[in-house]
Amino acid sequence: MREAHTAILSRAEPWSGTVTTEPYEAAWAGEAVIFVRAVETDGAGGEIATCISADGLHWVDEGTTFRLPTKAGEVTFAKLSGFGHYLRFRATLPDGANARFMVSLALKE
Amino acid sequence: MPRREDSVTIEGADLRRQMLMANPGLSRFRPLPRIISYDDFSTSGMAGWTSLIGNYEDTLENVLPEFRGMYAPQLSVANHWDTGSHGAMSGSYSMKIATRAHKGALNLVLKRMTYIEPCPIQVEMFFAVKPEANELRLSDADVRSFGILLDLQDYDGHPQPRRAMPHLKYLNAMDGELKQRWQYKSVTEEDRMVGPTGETRSHPHFGSEGWVDVPGGEQRLCYNELPTKLNWHYLRLGVDLRSMRVTALQCNDKRMDHDAIDTMMLTPAWANLWSMLNVCLFCETDTDKRCFFYVDSILVSGDWDDA
Repeated sequence: MREAHTAILSRAEPWSGTVTTEPYEAAWAGEAVIFVRAVETDGAGGEIATCISADGLHWVDEGTTFRLPTKAGEVTFAKLSGFGHYLRFRATLPDGANARFMVSLALKE
Repeated sequence: MPRREDSVTIEGADLRRQMLMANPGLSRFRPLPRIISYDDFSTSGMAGWTSLIGNYEDTLENVLPEFRGMYAPQLSVANHWDTGSHGAMSGSYSMKIATRAHKGALNLVLKRMTYIEPCPIQVEMFFAVKPEANELRLSDADVRSFGILLDLQDYDGHPQPRRAMPHLKYLNAMDGELKQRWQYKSVTEEDRMVGPTGETRSHPHFGSEGWVDVPGGEQRLCYNELPTKLNWHYLRLGVDLRSMRVTALQCNDKRMDHDAIDTMMLTPAWANLWSMLNVCLFCETDTDKRCFFYVDSILVSGDWDDA
């Protein structure tokens, strides 16, 4: 069987401004889908960017970005492959915006 | 054809022991007769290890604050900036438990099971603990603690059912001062109702207050000379599910006085936890940097008959 694992990177924590998720090791995974579901949002949206790292300390943008959901219950996502050993995600919300998201990183071998 | 005098008869218990001794994955363990679970993370994957979440009703906002910083374990190759992948003891992967990067942050992961019979059980593992290597310094006092706790409950029908939670940890440092000793915790924390129905409560039992030194539990481990050098250690915890008392605590060569270790007991038992056998692992940072608890392999065993 292919190894698969889903890690919750944000459990509806209150977000505003720029927020970066904890580094997550994914050396074993060949592909990933990052899902963002809005639990609460003022509708302002924003953007989330993918960051990769060889060591969990030094980061570079991978290039994949997608929009944050603008209404409760909406899900946005991006598919990733060929990433380095560590992944994290940087969300940027517009000035004054507040939201809570469930962020799920679904990894497959 | 072998001559008849070359043949050897091995009785059951000896045969089992010899088979364990000949198994490269198992011969470093000393399991009780029945293996309940064995996870090496290189071939097993995550094998049911998951993040602890505090109890809630209706909304995640009533998860108690003590639980909110916890997040998922990771299959780790222990990559470092200076040497690349460190790997594990028995393969490429270990399970990594990582804290967040603020002083006092704690993360806890667990595997949820139940037991078949109340009997002696044992948890053994090979592990390493390190702070994040974001300074070119020794950093040996940056990890505050790491530990193991079991979350147990008597079976349905037990005459005086208890929820029992043996807590053991290695206190490495506190406020920058090395402590390097094993501790246990038996005092309970106050449980609190979460949500409006009165059906769900939560118990932040793992807090840093109330820990007591295990007598003779001072031990210096192999930290090595850099945060990027991992040395794997052995830990063994025995508990008897009938008495709910610790029956063994061993780290490498050090066997500690388990009779002195009291178990955290909650009575009456909780409503929905009958025969629970949860194995929980945690670590805690003493500085504003992450700390990492790597588990190469972990084996849970028990001693019961089928009769």
